Amino acid sequence: MKKILIVEDDDVIKKELKVLLNSSNFDANYLNNFETAKEEILSYNADLILLDINIPFINGEELLKEIRKESNVPIIMITSKNTEIDEVLSMSYGADDYITKPYNPTILVLRINALFKRLNSTEKNNVYKNIKIYPEKGLLKKEDKEVILTKNEMIIFNNLLINKSKIVTRDELMTDLWNNDEYINDNALTVNVSRLRTKLKDLNDEELIETRKGQGYILK
Amino acid sequence: MKFGKYIIDKMPNIIIYNFTIFIIISLLIAFESKIELIIAVIIILLVVEIIVITIDYLKKQCFYKSFKNNLDNLDKKYLILETINKPGFYEGEILYDSLYEIDKSMIENIKKQTINKQEFKEYIEMWIHEVKIPIASIVLLIHNNKNKVNGKILKEIKKIDSCTEQVLYYTREEFAEKDYLIKEYNLKKIINTVAINNKNDLLELNISLEVDKCNELVLTDSKWLEFILNQIINNSIKYIDKTKENNYIKISTKKEESKTLLIIEDDGIGIKSNEISRVFNKSFTGTNGRNNKKATGMGLYLVKKLSNKLGHKVEIEAKENEYTKVIITFNEGEYYNVLK
Repeated sequence: MKKILIVEDDDVIKKELKVLLNSSNFDANYLNNFETAKEEILSYNADLILLDINIPFINGEELLKEIRKESNVPIIMITSKNTEIDEVLSMSYGADDYITKPYNPTILVLRINALFKRLNSTEKNNVYKNIKIYPEKGLLKKEDKEVILTKNEMIIFNNLLINKSKIVTRDELMTDLWNNDEYINDNALTVNVSRLRTKLKDLNDEELIETRKGQGYILK
Repeated sequence: MKFGKYIIDKMPNIIIYNFTIFIIISLLIAFESKIELIIAVIIILLVVEIIVITIDYLKKQCFYKSFKNNLDNLDKKYLILETINKPGFYEGEILYDSLYEIDKSMIENIKKQTINKQEFKEYIEMWIHEVKIPIASIVLLIHNNKNKVNGKILKEIKKIDSCTEQVLYYTREEFAEKDYLIKEYNLKKIINTVAINNKNDLLELNISLEVDKCNELVLTDSKWLEFILNQIINNSIKYIDKTKENNYIKISTKKEESKTLLIIEDDGIGIKSNEISRVFNKSFTGTNGRNNKKATGMGLYLVKKLSNKLGHKVEIEAKENEYTKVIITFNEGEYYNVLK
């Protein structure tokens, strides 16, 4: 499980962020002591840091610069300062991404996943229940059987896979699709999911996607 | 300074002077002076009168002519004192000194206002950053505790957020000299952010969003353009034509010579043709706005203002009950091309 450190001084936000990230299969925790923020952050050995610009004792941008002198840990800046200048500044100091408050929580998780994916592009995690996954080709393969997924179906499948054994809401799937420039509507989502379900059944015989009424879908 | 007017202005003096000449001549005649002496006195007195008036006129004319000229040519009239020399006659000096005092007091006043404005702008910006924190907390809380009521609260919170955004950009537009950064951006990315921002409304109202590639690079400030597009899409959503079966918003781009056009078209209720020229005016709400109580007349006003600052052209075409089409034109920066 990826370790994420939340550097944020607002009580509600840091606690809720922790809940959100924990429920998205991350091991999240927040920083309590800001006086020695840099040392604490470096010794925590996180896989990713969510860094707010407005924190006590030190400016987030300064802190980012300080951390970058010693570590290459991925950092996402989270701030309510919504100007181009701040974003450019943060990126030039070595931030990996920049998100402004209030953010869409689903998008935040998607961006974190995307960042990890970008960093570990070599890491192969492309097998699920003996099904080999080739995202670029949109191909699923099991033994000598294979199915082709459309772009939308692949996005849905990937999302379910990342959240394996957990309920994924329709809204989360929808956000992921929209985030990938696929502006589909509710009916289209239903159609896409049922097509994906059929295709998976062709490969695996048993039902893999379960529908939880009023809640969403779950990949077994 | 016109000679004729000057003479009219000096008329009382001239009349008194001429009257004096008349008395002197009368006295001379009464004492039976020689006619030669009388003529000589008349000529001397008249010549002296003309010389005195001419000298006075020239002195003043010299000063007022340059004063008037400079004033006409000045863009900032209050800088007039910097362009003239202190005049060599008493009234002129009074004018010059008074102008100096007036200018000084005005500049002090403006300075005070500028500082007030700056402080106000900073306060508003700070306030907005502050208010974004509880908004972000609520959004997270709702996300972590999903239920029907929370879904409704989320909608309301989004409205608050969009109101604060509007205030933020209003202050930025109104009070900031330069608060943006022009860079090259992919339109697709900016459109995506705006689309996701409005996702729930679009899905709920069953408006299909059709984005045609839009893979162009344009020179803009992405945050400002996001706000601009958001206002336009908000309008499309607000003024949807519910009598139609398929509501849509189509976003596409077009290349024209060195320009890129971004076109946002919807099949909403459109705009009355006699109101179209006024939609960018501040506080203009029109018939559509009156029917929809939530119109403030600020959205399109800000769209126009912010676009102008960024150097984008915005046009709007519409037909009542048929469509509305907003076209944003991005110029390719010549300066930027040189840099590249």
